[in-house]
Amino acid sequence: MHRRLLKTTGLIVLFLTSIYADAQTPDVNRDTSLRFFENRIRPQLAENCYECHGSERQESGLRLDTYAGILEGGDTGKAVVPGEPDESLLLVALSYENEELEMPPDGRLSDRVIEDMRQWIELGAPHPDQGRPVAEASPDEPSEALQWSFVQPRPGPLPTVQRLDWSQSPLDHFVLSRLEKRELVPMPPADRRTLIRRVTFDLIGLPPTPDEVRNFVAATAPDAFARQSDRLLASPRYGERWGRYWLDVARYADSNGLDENLAYGNAWRYRDYVIGAWNADKPFDRFVTEQLAGDLLSEGSEAERREHLVATGFLALGPKVLAEVDAKKMEMDIIDEQVDTLGRALLGLTVGCARCHDHKFDPLTNADYYGLAGIFKSTRTMENFIKLARWHENSIATAAQQQRQATHHEAVESTKAAIKDLMAAAEESTKQQRDEPRSENAQTQSADETQRSLKQLQSKLAELEKHPPQMPTAMGVQEGKVSDLKIHIRGSHLRLGSTVPRRFPAFLAGMSQAAFGPSQSGRLQLAHWLTDSSNPLTGRVIVNRVWRWHFGRGLVGTPDNFGRLGELPTHPQLLDWMTVRFVEDGWSIKSLHRMILSSSTYQLSSRANPQAARVDPENRLLWRATVRRLEAEAIRDSLLFASGELNLAMGGSLLHVKNRQFLFDHTSKDGTTYDSRCRSVYLPVIRNHLFDVFQLFDYADASVTNGNRTTSTVAPQALFMLNGDLVRDAMKALATRALREGGTQPRDQVAFLYMATLARLPRPTEIEQALAFVENFRLVAAASRSGPAEPAAGWEALCQVLLASNEFIHIR
Amino acid sequence: MAMRKFRDPSRRAMLRDSAVGFGHLALCGMLSRAAADDAAAAAGPLRFLAAKQPHFLPRARRVIFLFMKGGPSHIDTFEFKPRLQRDDGKPLPFAKPRVQFAPTNNLLRSPWKFRQYGNSGSWVSELFPHLAKHVDDLCMLHGVHGTNAAHGGALLKLHTGSDNFVRPSMGAWVSYGLGTENENLPAFVTICPTLAHGGVKNWGSAFLPAWCQGTPLGVASQPASSATVKYATNQRFPLRLQRLQLDLLREVNEQHLQETGPNAILESRIALFELAFRMQSEIPQIQDISDESDTVRRQYGLDEKITADFGLQCLLARRFAERGVRFIQVTHSDSKVQWDQHSDLKQGHEKNALEVDKPIAGLLADLKARGLLEDTLVLWGGEFGRTPTAQGSNGRDHNPYGFTMWMAGAGVKPGFHYGATDEYGFFARDDKLHIHDVHATLLHLLGIDHEKLTYRYAGRDFRLTDVAGTVARDILS
Repeated sequence: MHRRLLKTTGLIVLFLTSIYADAQTPDVNRDTSLRFFENRIRPQLAENCYECHGSERQESGLRLDTYAGILEGGDTGKAVVPGEPDESLLLVALSYENEELEMPPDGRLSDRVIEDMRQWIELGAPHPDQGRPVAEASPDEPSEALQWSFVQPRPGPLPTVQRLDWSQSPLDHFVLSRLEKRELVPMPPADRRTLIRRVTFDLIGLPPTPDEVRNFVAATAPDAFARQSDRLLASPRYGERWGRYWLDVARYADSNGLDENLAYGNAWRYRDYVIGAWNADKPFDRFVTEQLAGDLLSEGSEAERREHLVATGFLALGPKVLAEVDAKKMEMDIIDEQVDTLGRALLGLTVGCARCHDHKFDPLTNADYYGLAGIFKSTRTMENFIKLARWHENSIATAAQQQRQATHHEAVESTKAAIKDLMAAAEESTKQQRDEPRSENAQTQSADETQRSLKQLQSKLAELEKHPPQMPTAMGVQEGKVSDLKIHIRGSHLRLGSTVPRRFPAFLAGMSQAAFGPSQSGRLQLAHWLTDSSNPLTGRVIVNRVWRWHFGRGLVGTPDNFGRLGELPTHPQLLDWMTVRFVEDGWSIKSLHRMILSSSTYQLSSRANPQAARVDPENRLLWRATVRRLEAEAIRDSLLFASGELNLAMGGSLLHVKNRQFLFDHTSKDGTTYDSRCRSVYLPVIRNHLFDVFQLFDYADASVTNGNRTTSTVAPQALFMLNGDLVRDAMKALATRALREGGTQPRDQVAFLYMATLARLPRPTEIEQALAFVENFRLVAAASRSGPAEPAAGWEALCQVLLASNEFIHIR
Repeated sequence: MAMRKFRDPSRRAMLRDSAVGFGHLALCGMLSRAAADDAAAAAGPLRFLAAKQPHFLPRARRVIFLFMKGGPSHIDTFEFKPRLQRDDGKPLPFAKPRVQFAPTNNLLRSPWKFRQYGNSGSWVSELFPHLAKHVDDLCMLHGVHGTNAAHGGALLKLHTGSDNFVRPSMGAWVSYGLGTENENLPAFVTICPTLAHGGVKNWGSAFLPAWCQGTPLGVASQPASSATVKYATNQRFPLRLQRLQLDLLREVNEQHLQETGPNAILESRIALFELAFRMQSEIPQIQDISDESDTVRRQYGLDEKITADFGLQCLLARRFAERGVRFIQVTHSDSKVQWDQHSDLKQGHEKNALEVDKPIAGLLADLKARGLLEDTLVLWGGEFGRTPTAQGSNGRDHNPYGFTMWMAGAGVKPGFHYGATDEYGFFARDDKLHIHDVHATLLHLLGIDHEKLTYRYAGRDFRLTDVAGTVARDILS
């Protein structure tokens, strides 16, 4: 807890005072002093010293990027004597007091930095590698060997628990055992109405229908809940919900955004591919492989091969600075975006941090970064880098389409040839005419005929060229010119270091990696390495993501960061156990869902328990279900669903702008429209100009992998609920439905409304409350001149209140 | 995320239960921000919006940023270059930058005459006759550099500090750091912003809490007089009927809360509807300028067609400033090419300057007369300047290597000139101010140490100034 407090203040003096202030919590002291080192000391060393005294060069025998090196010092003596600033040569050099020893050579650092160094040495030069065997600090053997996530998951035994009647799924043992250790009792299971609403939103992003609620409440079969889960997992609506989660990870968008906002007119094919893959329960290892290297997979039918090409859109559809004037910078920025997305999305590592220097917290080196970057340097993502740059698209034409294309091409060519022949013949006859004149009449006749034929042929050609067969293309990659990259010193393409062979990060894959073939980028090998069961991260990361999307919080609270700055798992054994099972089950996401849904943990009530709330206010130990607000898409879909307006048509593009055309140019004219009634997943995602309703409710901004959307509570959301056109349309349609379909009695109409919006019947007091409101509204409206006169207005107003209510947009 | 942070009950409980530690830390005098946060967290569901204590005594309480989109030419406006006038048509006697947006030819003299004004003797071209009368209030920054050679990159760099990563905008950082002084209004308002070249990213909050993002009033393609805040008015029910709905909503939500038990998010959502209801009436009041005198209207140029639109934007900026909004951006973007005169420099810059000169002068005079200039920082500038070398016979290219911005008001030396470009105006040379330095200085004036205003995201502490930024102490008054 101290740590959280200190984190938010960010004040170093505070770290120091607390180090001295309280000797009772040594771990906290070490933690704060290490943070002082990481925040104030290491960045300065990296910025000013590593270039000459780091892993690449050790001038005067000194290296400062390892703890051992700092202690040993160089040719002139010990760089740092912990606790003794005056005996530490580092400080002598920095202070510029001795002309023989002034560092860094470019100029004295600020007093503040030097004072920080002095304080750091006075504190005993705290360093993460302090107290570890010196050998561990060498960069070849990662000093972070103990970071939990870099060790392969082990399937431990199920923990023993006291209460034997609670667990329904093996995973409950892990949860219960943690609760029992803290003497917490899980809440009882949720009632059926709550549960059906929870699982329906959870799996398909829509509310249950009144019939579904009634059926489940009345069901007596012991496996009634499992049947509901299976029904929902088999619904095509499932892929629309869970595929959308993956699209957050894939930073999916239909436009470039960043600087020049051009339409990614074919990105939707990737979106539809993702929805299909989740619906089909495509094994996750296969799903990853197709996205990274689908173009290199030779197996499968023609249709499957096209699908594999579409899958590589994952690498292509990131935001790019398409008008960057410095072409080299543009290329490296695009590669960086791919490396960074790969790292966060699949490994849960901020690989992008190692672009300019060794990662400051994880054992990823600058060389590791360029090893990975070389793979993407050798991949063709772009057609060119001139402003505005053009991204590459793969042809995904079917054989029939290619045939049509060929036929069309032939027709064009033959028409052109016919025109040419005719012209030549005409010329010939003119020549002959000159040589041996015929009658004027015959001459005119022949010329007229030629003219007519020519006109015909020309209009045929024009027609053909105007309507070429549509040849579908998809954003994606293919192999490019294969080459390794040089280290870019401090990330700059203008200062190059030594060449790094294309490879995977050494701390995960070891130093002795097989070289890729000279014509291979290495993407396929990368996909295989990522999805190998020995990779400690890929499985854990996706299992944790799925948990996060079910529960609102991951077992690791930072789903996109499993590195040292990520959070520690609340239930490490559970995560490992599930990961091992997941991989054994053939990377089946739907099996993972079933494992989770069938647990007592999932089915807990969300009710409060003051005693448990005191021990574990954030519910990290899972003693109850967490009340969660619906995501942006589910809010919109529910509004449309409640009003009966939702269109369940699947797939295709709703973009109004053609591929590669500007969505916004200098004029700021807004060409985007969101008036479709299709499910939210199909609405265009326009970077820099997200649908405002989505943006209001914390939609991912599609610029970077996001497996952990925030849930903000801000006033404009309330303004939208009060005044938004979507809400206004929904309340109107819903009121009409209630009055028409809800029976003849006002009480029944209120009941209809409650079922349609909250999936439950109103209590008698709620019926009274609602009817009193409608009546009062009518009276006040009649008394005011500007109010709406029609009798349904009060019902509309009532509908709006229910749609704006906390109960409507939260799952319990 | 911040919601979680501020409303984290364990954190609150910890502070409540550890009064000793809290007192000790507070005595160190260094916990002011955290203390304010937590006092806020303890005080009610919406207190996270509340004004917060800066790191040290601020000179400015708010910022008005007058953004000239497209890149106004520094060498034709506020930085006089006699050598350029003399060497018209000659080649640039030193190397052009490695990266240029487009090729340029030889030197092109400024088509406008320069004159010295005020006690400070500042040079201003004839493009800005009204503003020239205020030179003794302006602090000219002639050595600004470091945006990007293309509009998109340069706008993002100017507004967010990064041209290739998605980062919070400066207004969002200021909101995050200082909160709002009027809880019925957003902390950051951007009037008629451009949707091009980064668009919403230029006022977005990125990973900062959503309430920090700028609230747009209209967009650049529409007249300021028709600009509105989205969803701020109800087309269906008048306020009186809406009040009935809100009363029922509160009842319904409170019944629901009985069922769920205490829940901070649900509680703050109940309070937010009341806040939204107040915002609905507050924003139209600000936009209703019927209470402004004719003198004031004339001062801003509302009575002339050419200045009326930008004049209204400036007047609205003052009205938002008066009511406690922290960061107000006004964008001059005529919805075509704005200040981007690759050709037609003469005609284009003349039209642009005419549109903004009088309104800006009016704004400065008005702020001064109301005493607002004492604690308001006005910042003026584009995403880059323009090259002294020519494109065609009457145009200049983008120049992110050296250009002029100016500040006025709270905390900066009036009638002061800081930094310079080379003798032709191509590269910043003396007292260079990287755009990170501009950001550091702006935060400093607001009482914020740019190295301490950090936000932890994806495992790292982020700042507006990344790992750079130096406060230009020489310009502080």
